[in-house]
Amino acid sequence: MSAILEVDSLVKKYGDYEAVRGVSFSVEEGEVFGLLGPNGAGKTTIISMVTGVLESTAGTARIGGYDIQKELGEVKKINGLVPQDLALYPTLSARANLNFFGRIYGLRGKALKERVDDVLQIVALTERADGVVDEFSGGMKRRVNIAAGLVHQPRLLFLDEPTVGVDPQSRNHIFESVLRLNRERGMSIIYTSHYMEEVELLCNRVAIIDQGEIIALDTIKNLIAMLGGGVIHVGVPQADDELVQQIATLPAVKEATIVPKPVAPPLAEGEEPEAKEGERVVAGEVVKIVAQHSQQAIVNVLGFLNDRDINLTSLEILEPNLESVFLHLTGKKLRE
Amino acid sequence: MKALSIAFKDLQIFLKDRGSLLLLFLLPLLFVVVFTGALGEVGKGEPDTRILLPVVDLDGGTAARTLIQGLESAGGVRVEGYKQSEALALLDENKISRVLTIPAGFSGDIDEERPVTLRLINHPDADPEQTEAVRLVVEGVARDMSLEIQILAALQQMGQMQASAPEEYREAFSVERMQAQARSQFERAQAQPLVAVTQRVPGQELEQEEVLGLGDVAVSGITVLFVFLTAQTMARSIYDEKKVGSFRRLLAAPMSKAALLAGKMIPNLIMGLVQTGVIFAFGIVGLKLMGLPSAKLGPAPLAVVLVVVLIALCSSALGILIAAIARTENQIGGLSSVLLWVMGLLGGSFVPLFLMERFLGPVPKIVPHYWANHALVNLMVRGLGLADVALDCVVLLGFTAIFFVVGLWRFDFE
Repeated sequence: MSAILEVDSLVKKYGDYEAVRGVSFSVEEGEVFGLLGPNGAGKTTIISMVTGVLESTAGTARIGGYDIQKELGEVKKINGLVPQDLALYPTLSARANLNFFGRIYGLRGKALKERVDDVLQIVALTERADGVVDEFSGGMKRRVNIAAGLVHQPRLLFLDEPTVGVDPQSRNHIFESVLRLNRERGMSIIYTSHYMEEVELLCNRVAIIDQGEIIALDTIKNLIAMLGGGVIHVGVPQADDELVQQIATLPAVKEATIVPKPVAPPLAEGEEPEAKEGERVVAGEVVKIVAQHSQQAIVNVLGFLNDRDINLTSLEILEPNLESVFLHLTGKKLRE
Repeated sequence: MKALSIAFKDLQIFLKDRGSLLLLFLLPLLFVVVFTGALGEVGKGEPDTRILLPVVDLDGGTAARTLIQGLESAGGVRVEGYKQSEALALLDENKISRVLTIPAGFSGDIDEERPVTLRLINHPDADPEQTEAVRLVVEGVARDMSLEIQILAALQQMGQMQASAPEEYREAFSVERMQAQARSQFERAQAQPLVAVTQRVPGQELEQEEVLGLGDVAVSGITVLFVFLTAQTMARSIYDEKKVGSFRRLLAAPMSKAALLAGKMIPNLIMGLVQTGVIFAFGIVGLKLMGLPSAKLGPAPLAVVLVVVLIALCSSALGILIAAIARTENQIGGLSSVLLWVMGLLGGSFVPLFLMERFLGPVPKIVPHYWANHALVNLMVRGLGLADVALDCVVLLGFTAIFFVVGLWRFDFE
């Protein structure tokens, strides 16, 4: 397979702030490639640069062999963009919206009508084609939004958070559409999300992005394999390097590290520390253990702590998935 | 073609927006009715029905001043002083209908009792009745002046002769002789007036008074105001595209940024032209049916069309500029309201231009509305032609270029 997209050291700066920091990756023809990262990680900025919406500060990309810096016109003909926003005209019908987006890609007459009918069928909105978009449900609007990016039959489709705010039924419709476009029509797809379940379901390979950088890029299987049999967070009153090294040598334990404590703002005099929603106030230290076999590792670690009269203050077992991979790599949850 | 697709889509959206339709099409008609009907006489004051008589005084002496005072007090004409070159240029352009020239040396010749000739030049298209009226006034004043000078001179001469004559000849200066001499001078003044008047083109025109009321300029003024108000609609349309994200989608499509902006400008241009058509049709037909003074397109309708196209183009470019400067919906609303209504006020859309210039001097010229109103009033109210509004057209094009270039420079495509 040849690469449909090759991104080479892309940088985007806003003044002193570097939103994207020298990102490089490639996507094969016919692949569904995921960009996974929390909000503000730089996913949309990368897509915007690659689709010609934003100018890059440095670096370049090639799509279908065309350089985005020198042959942007050709690049735009290959691309299809489904933005995160509902980029539609709400007072027009679904068909009028699709007709318009088809026309700006040069479609006319019979070809336009056929393409509009086709994409309406793909997103299962043929029956509601002449309805005004403003009167559609959130999920239906999302599906029209996707159809608008498909109407000119792009070779490479960018889906930027396409399921934000949709109901489960529409979400399933979207998943089915994405898989059919890829399998039946061979369309290459770049799918951004901060929902790891979606990426796991749809994508062959995933780039995990945080703070404008790719921190991991591999198949989902390989990424999860980084965690072995899973990750265990063990809370103890005190921990030092010696203790951590001893835990790391236990059977079924792959590695052990102390989780750095987040820097909290100074408390006013007399103020008690409060947990934010979904956050634990941790007294003492947390040791992160990457296990080869999680159940066996838990037994061994608990026995080790008991032998040394070390009290257990907390215990958290993370299943091996992309969420825990992200947590493992960044120390943050995907939706923080 | 892609720009036309954007334009077509924007027009579809616009036609579904009842609020904007009301603002851009119904409101101007309401303004026209109010300004033409209720406020039509505002700004006119007491109508001055006297005929304008431009006078070029090449003499500047006492007799010339006496003549001008005589013309002023004769009634029927309103004297305005001009330089010769200025008056001839205006006469050539048919902006004034006649010029009376007092020749150099007029006062000296009068003192010496040498015959002098006043030249009254009329434009070929001047109204014959008005020209005849002016001729009668000028000749009457000249005749009276001749008579007065000649009789006074004769009497003075006789007085001097009487004073210097020997006693035995004093009887020769009896009352009867004096009356006979005065009668003789009177007859001579009638037959051979000291101050004669020649006309280069005999007969013709009344100079139109330049005092225009709100009613006269309502249709053109409201048209200019509301066509420029479409700039706000356009800026809002661009903002809405950015807000919903469709602007990003358009940027990702294979079309240039210039085509994108052109696509946003075309609907504004079309709306401006349709809007003008509606206001003009109402001004010409609707006002007449309502029994109000109706508007006229004037003798150069194609020139009116050209000016309207330029106004709509300028408004579209201003829309780009507003969209480039204002970053939020409130900013667009605030900036547009202040900018467009103040510009309209300053540029003569509510108050006739001559009044604005009387109070503000050249300040109104800084806004495009001034030039737009100036051009339309000259074409539609004063009945002038394309050549007379050439400068206005050039200035409107200049404003368009400035608005577009600055707008493009400041426009945030990201």
